[in-house]
Amino acid sequence: MIKAEGLTKRFSSLTAVDHISFRVEVGEIFGLLGPNGAGKTTTVHMLATLLKPSEGEAWVAGFSVTESPGEVRKHIGIVFQEPTVDRFLSGWDNLYIHGMIYGVPRGELKERIRKALEFVELERWAGVLVKKYSGGMLRRLELARALLYEPEVLFLDEPTLGLDPQSRAKMWEYIKELRRSQGTTILVTTHYMEEADRLCDRVAIIDRGRIVAEGSPEELKRKLGSEVIYLRSRKASELIDELREAGLSARMLSPELIALAVSSATEAMPKLFTVLGNLIKHVEEISYHRPSLEDVFLHYTGRKLRDSEADAADFIRMVARVRRW
Amino acid sequence: MGFTSAVAVMWYRQVKKFYMAKPRLLGSLAQPILWMVFFGLGWSSTIRGPMARMLFHGLDYMSFLAPGVYMMSIFIVSFMSGVSVIFDRQFGYLKELLASPAPREAIMLGRVLGDSTVSIAQATVLLMAAKALAPGISLATLPVASLVGFLAALCFTSLGSIIAFKMETFESFNIVNTFITMPMLFLSGAFYPIDTMPAWMRHLAYVSPLTYAVDATRGLLAGYSHLPLAVDAAALLAAAAALLLLSAAAYKRATVG
Repeated sequence: MIKAEGLTKRFSSLTAVDHISFRVEVGEIFGLLGPNGAGKTTTVHMLATLLKPSEGEAWVAGFSVTESPGEVRKHIGIVFQEPTVDRFLSGWDNLYIHGMIYGVPRGELKERIRKALEFVELERWAGVLVKKYSGGMLRRLELARALLYEPEVLFLDEPTLGLDPQSRAKMWEYIKELRRSQGTTILVTTHYMEEADRLCDRVAIIDRGRIVAEGSPEELKRKLGSEVIYLRSRKASELIDELREAGLSARMLSPELIALAVSSATEAMPKLFTVLGNLIKHVEEISYHRPSLEDVFLHYTGRKLRDSEADAADFIRMVARVRRW
Repeated sequence: MGFTSAVAVMWYRQVKKFYMAKPRLLGSLAQPILWMVFFGLGWSSTIRGPMARMLFHGLDYMSFLAPGVYMMSIFIVSFMSGVSVIFDRQFGYLKELLASPAPREAIMLGRVLGDSTVSIAQATVLLMAAKALAPGISLATLPVASLVGFLAALCFTSLGSIIAFKMETFESFNIVNTFITMPMLFLSGAFYPIDTMPAWMRHLAYVSPLTYAVDATRGLLAGYSHLPLAVDAAALLAAAAALLLLSAAAYKRATVG
């Protein structure tokens, strides 16, 4: 339903998206997982024909995004990362105006608005000014808006950004229900691991404009072994030689961090002490757990998904948003 | 997406939006009424008698002022509605509009027509109220005056949106208010006659379309105009056409995101 081949976007000197390729099958919920600034939004904008790729090509619902953007637009719905609603109008009016300017057949519009509002359980709020909506309701309204033209492909850019856990869970329900009842193909971007894990059939982990891993959340986690042991040490490079000599599958994640993929951490731990012998005194920290997508990300990039860098980016974006006032 | 239905739905949006904002509705109606009552009554009790009639070309001050305040109300409401494009950008709604398949000229035109409708409706209500204070006003010519008002509203909504597209931040809003709205109002002849202004002021006054709009409405509603009606109408038509074109160009140039 979606196919990207070598999709690339450069903004002057910055390569935001660097030759990425992936496929999304019909009726799949596909996640683009990565920190802020990884190129997720840029990718979505290219697939939704709002941005022209600098290189590469993509097909959505069978149409090329570069050759027939108009056709692509007819088959997709999109929920932007930042709200794009009119706060000084009611929810119903927002949907009505959207339907009109986006060319939903006039005769069907009112019925579709009713169905969309019912789907996101906002019927009772239809006549209320949007500025009185909560964050979760706002996102639901935007979802309803994207559903007006009954899209085959739906793009959701960080659909649960800034929502409380309850609203987030609710949003997931709607997304899953949509796929179940309409068979909609859905591409979600997110930087919440839990979201990708619970919601997506398959995810592509994207970092600095490249896809570093792709597969179902289960597959990706299984690749790391059933459990992972982390060792933190300033002498990590010395330790890793010892570990590898002993036949353990050890990986340097960063100059001070080693990951060991094992089938059982409790059984591997005593062996670890034996192997390291005297070197154990250089280990500052040992931890282990069942791999999560966070570990998968760490495994492929050597960084945590929400490390200080991402937080800084968040902060800068927030400042930028405030300053625009 | 048809051109006309895009115009129609944008018209609907502007009108509905105004109607939904009750406090704003009340506020923008109250402001010109306050001008009429305090400014008007204050001055009309200072400048009275035959001397005043001579100064104001046979009118009492209230009847001289009322058409000016009528046009002032149209000016402020339509200009500010035009500038409100900046709100849409701030709240991301402009992206939603500009990313749509609807022609941008249609979006612009629908907006301008909607805002103009709102400002005319409001000014009409105001004039009815002002009639009680200004005996020299005739409401019989109101339909024609509304046409002039509509033309003026087209000018000022377009002007407002052209400026809004140039503004980087919301802070510039106050600057616009100080350096555009206020001078245009003072130069318009709404509060005092143009012919007695110092020459430099008079020359400036004739650059602003608001001056012609005030003159024409005064001619229609109170029976005195400084320039022939045809001249006023021609100046307004030219200004409206030019500003609409510039505003359409600004919409076309605007980038999404």
